Amino acid sequence: MLMNVQDVKRALPTNTVPLVPAMSGPAAATTTDIVAAEIFDGFRAWRVWSVLGWDDIRQRYRRSILGPFWITLSMGVFILVLGVIYSRLFHIDPSTYMPYLSVGYVVWGFISSVANDSCVAFHEGSRIIKQIKLPFTTYVFRVVCRNFIVFLHTIVIFVPVAIYFKIMPTWNTFLAIPGLFLVVVNVTWVAATLAIFSTRYRDVQPIVGTIVQLMMFATPIMWSVSSLGNETLIAEINPIYHLIEIVRGPMLGAAPELRSWLVACGLATVGSLLAAALLVSKARRIVFWL
Amino acid sequence: MVAIILDDVSIDIPIYDVSSASLRKMLLVRAVGGRFAQSGSHVTVKALKNVTFEAHDGDRIALVGDNGSGKSTLLRVASKVYPPTSGRVMITGEIAPMFDATLGMSMDATGLENIQIAGTIWGMTRAQIRNSVDDIAEFTELGDYLKVPVRTYSNGMLLRLAFAIATARDPEILLIDEIIGVGDATFIGKAFSRLHKLAERSRILMVAAHQDDRLRLLCDKAIWLSHGSLVQYGDIETVLAARAGERPISQSAGDAA
Repeated sequence: MLMNVQDVKRALPTNTVPLVPAMSGPAAATTTDIVAAEIFDGFRAWRVWSVLGWDDIRQRYRRSILGPFWITLSMGVFILVLGVIYSRLFHIDPSTYMPYLSVGYVVWGFISSVANDSCVAFHEGSRIIKQIKLPFTTYVFRVVCRNFIVFLHTIVIFVPVAIYFKIMPTWNTFLAIPGLFLVVVNVTWVAATLAIFSTRYRDVQPIVGTIVQLMMFATPIMWSVSSLGNETLIAEINPIYHLIEIVRGPMLGAAPELRSWLVACGLATVGSLLAAALLVSKARRIVFWL
Repeated sequence: MVAIILDDVSIDIPIYDVSSASLRKMLLVRAVGGRFAQSGSHVTVKALKNVTFEAHDGDRIALVGDNGSGKSTLLRVASKVYPPTSGRVMITGEIAPMFDATLGMSMDATGLENIQIAGTIWGMTRAQIRNSVDDIAEFTELGDYLKVPVRTYSNGMLLRLAFAIATARDPEILLIDEIIGVGDATFIGKAFSRLHKLAERSRILMVAAHQDDRLRLLCDKAIWLSHGSLVQYGDIETVLAARAGERPISQSAGDAA
C-alpha cells in the first residue's frame, strides 16, 4: 500500500490538525517570538552558560597547583614591574600610580578578553548549536561569564595594593558596583555584536585583535589623562576610558565625573538595543554560517 | 499535545567558501545528493525541498535515504536547529536531539563532572541530574572510574558514558541520527535495549539510520528522502519495500547496510 503525503494528511484524525500554536517559519515568526527565544530565554538559561563558563576555566587550569590564580599571579607581577618602572618614567608617585594602574589594567583585562573571546563565541559552541536549539545569547553570556570569573580572580590584586598604599574604603567605593554593572552590560552587547559579525565574516577576528592591542595603549590605563595637558579630548572621546573610569574612580576613592556615567549609560542603552536588533534579524541565519 | 508538523518546508544551506569555480561545483553535485543553486554571491545547497508531513503522538518514524538525501537536515529542522528557508514548521513538545552523543563531554573533567556538564547542556535540571547519576553509573559499569578524568577512559568507556548521559532523560520528542555503531557487541546490545526503552517512553520518535533491521525494531512508519525531497511517507514495511524495489535502478552503489 503506497501512501503519499496527501493520504497521510487525510488519514489523520481531525483533532490533531489545529496548526494554531507557535508556528515558526518566515511567515509566522514574529519579532517578539525571536526576542523571547533568543534574548529572554538566554537569561533563563543561566545554568547552561555558567556551567560552560566554569568548565572553560577549569579546563584551562586543571592539574595546575595555582589554578585560575595563575592569572592573578601573572597579572600581579606585570602590574608590579610596570608600576615600579613607569612611575619613575612618568615621574608619578608610586602611591598614586600603582593603585591607578592595578585597577585600570584589571578592568581593561576584562574588557579586552571579552572582546577577543567573543569573536569565537559561536565557533566554540558550534557543536551544541548544530544539535540543540539554545538561545544564541547563551554562548555570548558564556564568554562574559567566563571572563567575569577571571576578573574576580584578578581584582584581588587591588587588595594588597590598597593596603600597602593605605587607600581606605569610602562611600564612593560602593559606586564601583553600579560602575562594574555598566561595564558588564556594555561588554555584553559588544560581545554579541562581534560574535555575529565574526561568524559571518572571518576577517573580523584579526581586526578586533589589532584594535584591542591598539586600545590598550590609546586608553588611559598605563598613563593618566592629566599627562595629556590640554589635549584631554584624546581620552574623552574614547568610550573605553569612561567605562574604566566608572570602576577605577570609585575604587580609588573618587566619584567619577557625571560625563563618564552618562557615556556608559547611553552606550549601554543604545548598544544593547542595536545588538538585540542585529541578533533578532540574524538569528535565523547564524547556524548556517558555522 | 505533542506534534511535529512541516508544511512545504525547504532548507537552503549557504556555502560561503565554495568559489565560483564551476568544476568544483559540478563535482560536488555528483558527490552529494543535494542540489546546488547560485543565490546572490554564494552557492547554496538545497538540503530539503518542499517537505510536508505530520507526526503525532505515538508515531515512530524511521528516516531512510542515501547519504546526503536530507535525513540529518530534516532532524535538525525537527530539533529547531535549522529554521526553514521557506515553509512553516510547528513543533510542540520537549525535544531531545541525539545526533552526537559525546556532545558536551569535557576530556579533562571526571566522569561525574561530565554528567553535570553534559546533563546541563542536554537540558536536565539539577535534581534530574542528581537522580540519574546512579542509573548512569549502573548502566556504564564504570564504578570508581567515574571519579577520574575521562581522558583516561578507553573509547568504549567514553562512549558508554556519553550514551548513558544522553539517554538519561525522558523526552517527549526523541530525534536520533545514526544509531550507535561503535563498541563491543555486548555494549551495542545493551545500548540498543536502553534506546528501545527510551523510545517507548517518548511520544514521538524519529530515527535516521542505515540498518533497516534495527529500524524495523524501533519504528512502525518511515519517511523516504531522496535528494532532499520526500518520496514516500507511510508504513515502514511498505516504504522499505518500495525503496528496495527502486534501489538497483536509480543507485548503482548502495550505501545502506
